[in-house]
Formats: sequence, C-alpha cells, structure tokens
Amino acid sequence: MDLLVWMLAVPLITAALGATVASRRVNEAVMAGGLLLTFVLCVVTAGRFLRGSIPAAFGDALRVDGLSALVLVLCGFVGLLSGVYGIGYLRRNEARNFVTPRMRRELYGLIPAYVFAMLLVAVSNNLGILWIAVELTTLASVFLVTFHDRDTSLEAAWKFLMLGSLGLGFALLGTVLLFAAGQGHLGEGLSALHWTRFMEAAPRLHPFTLRLGVVFALIGYGTKAGLAPMHTWKPDAYRETPSPAVALMAVGMLNGAVYCLLRIHLISTAALGAEFSGRLLLVLGLLSVLVAMPFILIQWNVKRLLAYSSIEHVGIMAVGVGLGAEAGVFGALLHMTYHSVAKPVSLFSAGTLAQLHSSSDFNRIGNGTFTRAPIASALFVLAAVMITGSPPFGMFFSEMTILRAGFAGPHVTATAIFLIALVVLFCGFAYQVGGIVLGTPRDPSERRVPHPERIDLGMVTTIAAAALAIVSAFYLPAPLLALIHAATRVVWEGR
Amino acid sequence: MTGDILILSAAGMLVTAYLMVGQKALFTAIRLFAVQSLFLAIVAATMAISASRHELFVMAGLTVVLKAALIPWFLMRVIDRIGIHREIEPFLNVPASLLVCLGLTVVGYRVSTGFPEGTGGVSHHLIGVALSMLLIGLFLMVTRKKAITQILALLTVESAVFLVAVGVTSGMPFVVELGISFDVILAVLILGVLVHRIVDRFESMDVSRLSKLKG
Repeated sequence: MDLLVWMLAVPLITAALGATVASRRVNEAVMAGGLLLTFVLCVVTAGRFLRGSIPAAFGDALRVDGLSALVLVLCGFVGLLSGVYGIGYLRRNEARNFVTPRMRRELYGLIPAYVFAMLLVAVSNNLGILWIAVELTTLASVFLVTFHDRDTSLEAAWKFLMLGSLGLGFALLGTVLLFAAGQGHLGEGLSALHWTRFMEAAPRLHPFTLRLGVVFALIGYGTKAGLAPMHTWKPDAYRETPSPAVALMAVGMLNGAVYCLLRIHLISTAALGAEFSGRLLLVLGLLSVLVAMPFILIQWNVKRLLAYSSIEHVGIMAVGVGLGAEAGVFGALLHMTYHSVAKPVSLFSAGTLAQLHSSSDFNRIGNGTFTRAPIASALFVLAAVMITGSPPFGMFFSEMTILRAGFAGPHVTATAIFLIALVVLFCGFAYQVGGIVLGTPRDPSERRVPHPERIDLGMVTTIAAAALAIVSAFYLPAPLLALIHAATRVVWEGR
Repeated sequence: MTGDILILSAAGMLVTAYLMVGQKALFTAIRLFAVQSLFLAIVAATMAISASRHELFVMAGLTVVLKAALIPWFLMRVIDRIGIHREIEPFLNVPASLLVCLGLTVVGYRVSTGFPEGTGGVSHHLIGVALSMLLIGLFLMVTRKKAITQILALLTVESAVFLVAVGVTSGMPFVVELGISFDVILAVLILGVLVHRIVDRFESMDVSRLSKLKG
C-alpha cells in the first residue's frame, strides 16, 4: 500500500489500540512502538521527497512538497518524544496512585490521535481536508485539556473549544470565500479545492472575494496558531493540559497552524502580491511578541509562562514570513525547526518540576528548586537559555537571520520594535526562571520536596531531548538542512 | 422564481437570527435555530434543482436531519437533564441588542457590495445575509452568559458560513461538505459533554463564572 496512507494509518491504529486495550505493559509498548514507527515513516516520506519524487495519494488530495516534508518530520519527532514522555508521566502518577482507567484511556488514545490529525494537516494539499484536519486536532485535544478534571480545566477546555471553533468558523468562511473567488477557474469535484489548483488559477481569482477570504482564513488559522489577539486560550490550556500533551500542542499544533497560514499566504501572494497577507502576518506577529511581554513579567504559573513564550515564538515566525524577504522566510523556517527541538525540553523539565511539587503554580513550587531537584532544574535552565534565543543555541541564529533580513528591508521600524521586544522578553524570562530555580526558599518547609527526584523514563526522555537540542545548535544533519531549504523555496517561490 | 425562494429563505434565516437575539426563553431559542436550519435546507434544495447539482440534495437532507432535528433535540435533552432554570440572561438588554444587530446587518450588506455580483442579484442578498448572521453570531457569543446560548451563537456562525458555501458557490466539493458536517456535529457533542461537566461542577450553566484563570 501507499507510503502516505501507512504513515497516517499507523498513529490511527495506535490510537484505537490505546483507547481499547486495558493492559499497562501492552499500552506502553503500543504507544512507544506506534509513534516510533510513525516517526520513521515520516522520515522515509521526507527522504523520498529529497530524492526527487513527490509522494501523493488520493488524486493529489494528499501531497508532500518541501514545506509539508519539513512539518511532517518535526511533527513526527515531537509525537515520538511526547509519547515516550507521556508513558513516563503516567508511570510517575501511577506510583502515587492517582491514575484512573479513564486517564489511561485518554492519554494512550488521544496522543496518537492528535499526532494523526497533525500529520494529516501537514500532508493535505486540499484546503477542505486541511480545515477538517485542523478541526480534528482541536477535537482530539479537548479531552486532554480536561485531563485532570479540575474546575479550572473545565474553564480552560471551554475557552479552548469555543475560541477554537470560532476561529475554525472563520477559517471555513475564508476557505469558502477563496473557493468563491475562483468560481469557474478551479474546475469540478474534490480537486477544485486543491492548493496546487489555486496556485495555477491565482491570477484569475476575483480580487475582492479573495482579499476577504484571505483575511478570514488568516484570522481563523491564526487563532489556532495562537497569534495575538486570538491567543487568550493558550495560557489556560497549557496550564491544565498534562505536559506530554502540551508538547504536542506547543510544537506540533503550532507548526501545523503556521503551515496553514503559509499556504493561505502563498495563494494570496500569487494572486495579489506578497504585500497584502505579508503585512497582515507582520502586524499579527509583532502584536504577539508585544503581548507576551507584560504577561511574562507578571506570571504566576510555570506552564503559563511557557505558553506566553510560545505566543512569542509563533509571533517571531509570523514576523519572519511577513517581512517579505527570502532570508526572513528561511529564518522563520529555521526558527520553527529549532523551536520544535528546544520547546519540548522546556515543557518536559517544567512538567517534571510541576509533578514533583504536585502543582505548576509558582507559589506551590516555591523558590530555589535547584536544591530540591537539581537535575530537572538544570534542564529547565538549559531549556530557558535555548528558548530565549541566547547564543550559542539555534534560536539565536534564526532570530539573527530574521533581524538581519528585517533591517535590510523596508520594515526597519517594525524590526526595531521587534528587536526591543525580544530583549525585554529575554530579561523577563531570565528573571522568572532565575527566581524559581535559584531564589532562596521563603520558609524552611519549602526546603524539602514532596516527591524526591528520580532518574526515570520521563527524566531520560528529557535528557535525550536536551542532548539533541544541544547537538542541533552546532550540527544540523544535511538532509534536514536540505528540507529547510526546500521549504523556503516553497514559501518564497510558491512551488 | 428560484431567485425569490432563495431570497425569501435567506431573509427567513436573518429573521430567525433576530428573533434569537430578542428571545429570553432557552427552549424557544433552540427551536428558532431549528427553523433557521430548515431555511438553510430550503436554500440547498433550491440550488440543487436550479443548478441541477444533485449532491446538494444530500446536503439539504443532512441539514434537516442534523441541524434541524438532531442538534436541537440533543441541546434540549442536555437542558432537561440538568434541569436548571431556563431564562437567558444577556449582558445587554433586548432593545439595545436589537439596535446593535441592525447596525451589524448594515455593515454586512455594505461589505457584500464588493463581490463580483455587485448590488444586484441573488448572491448579493445571500452574502449580505450571511455576513450579517456571522456578525450577529459573534455578538451573541460575547453578550450571552449561558453555555447553551454560546453554543447556539457558534452554530449561527456555522450556518452563515454554510449559506455562503451553498448559495454563492453552489456547493463545495461533496467529500469536504460531508467531512465538515461530521466535524461540526462532533464539536457540538463534545460541547454538550462539557456543559454537562460544567453544570455538575458549578451547579450553573453561567459561563461568566468561569473566570479563575487570568494573567
């Protein structure tokens, strides 16, 4: 059977098994094995693309070009990481006896289902299927938000689903309007919504309808990406969702949503020139970076802190694309890659700290975690250094690339504001992380940790992810770099 | 003839949206949504005949079964089961809300003049109505406190999008429409489950109480 179909079927089968099988050992083996196989299939697919063929299925409804291949590999990678960390996460909670069969079913079933939906986003060449896949990611993750069944998780899930559905309503209207703009030029049947068909028909699309459609679609998918001002679901959802699933949300879903934004941006660029949607992305991106600034400074919860950092990063990617320079696009895609590698480390180590203290709120964790949980704290500091874009790690280079592209182009003022915001964000983040890790405990009872730190599966996964992130700063494998260049070519030249 | 039916049905959808804004009883609001969906189905069926696109009959049938019958029934059952009092409590009173919605309709119609059909023809009315309904749906979502009314607002937005899809483009590809309908019904089911849990927990359906998470 077809490679693409297998790549999508494996996580789906894994999800079905995870939701039905009731034996712990089998569940763990199925999830780890299934997601490993998924990652391998993603890499094989990307490899086929690099060797010059264009993997496709169902009459080009699913099609892998450079951009898809890059997102596929990153999503597959994060899927594997969070699957393995998820097993470790459940084991830790199991040792304390608060894992119910419902939780087991949800985690083993929904994580692979989430991965499936993300991979479907990354390979769909059809705007209709793209929308359906994004909606599926939303639906698959709702019950991960309510996982802990607290008052606040219901609140977060309600906001998440309401705002997500509203955003998707906008995206659907955008898709319909794009389709309406191409009446008579797109042909009949399913292929009429193919992205490739849109790109061919771009010069003949009706400009006003198209403009309206692009605005709606960008706002809609921007909601899923968490661009300001549609970002408000993000901090709540991140706090309530268990850390392994947050990694999928913060990296996989984010990459998928950026992928959607890029596809729409490309149609708009081909029909109206890069200015229209590029400027919109630039404004939304800049706004996201600015919005994250005050909230990082007043933050009271470590996972919400990381949510605002994720809003910052999606803003950086949007700015990179919106600047309208090839170097900016390359910087944005490089940033996506480095972000996908570094972000899980921060979420996993913060998740470990939260699990050790049975809460992710600052006042429950208390200052000076380094004396209580040295390994997790050290990993968290390392991750913080990486995700704030400090040298010598990867995101420093990608941010520099974007900044240089910005100062060389017409948007100098915007780039200057962007640079200042990045510096402030760096300081704010350093202040918060320094307080948690190195501060002095306020009273003696905070000097001991309720659950001592252990080198378990979750910790090993975090260490492995951290090692990969460090290596990636100095050495990107040539095929991965080739993928980033191929993706840049897609976004810059539209093919 | 077809044009008249289309415009009349679209007007019916807009009127039900207005009635929903002015309505205080929760059950009536749900019935109004069912009527709105019937009008949408009539639009789809009319397009199916006039443009002889037979897959649109399936869409009309699906709309009747899912949106005019199944979803209203499900929402009413959720309300029955949680048995709480059934008045809608808006943040803004009814006359003021209706005035705002009037303004939104003007905006919707103004935007619709930019389409290729201009100010004449059936499409102009359909797009005008759809954009107005979209804005009214958004307005309902921010001014209503009850979880069920927020779901109804979301469904109004969805119906508006479907009206554009069916009325202006004479139907998106069939597979896509099917997938979208399936996703929408799944979303409503999940929202229903969440409402249930919220009521169990807070003993109220008032989502303005969900305000612990800030900053």
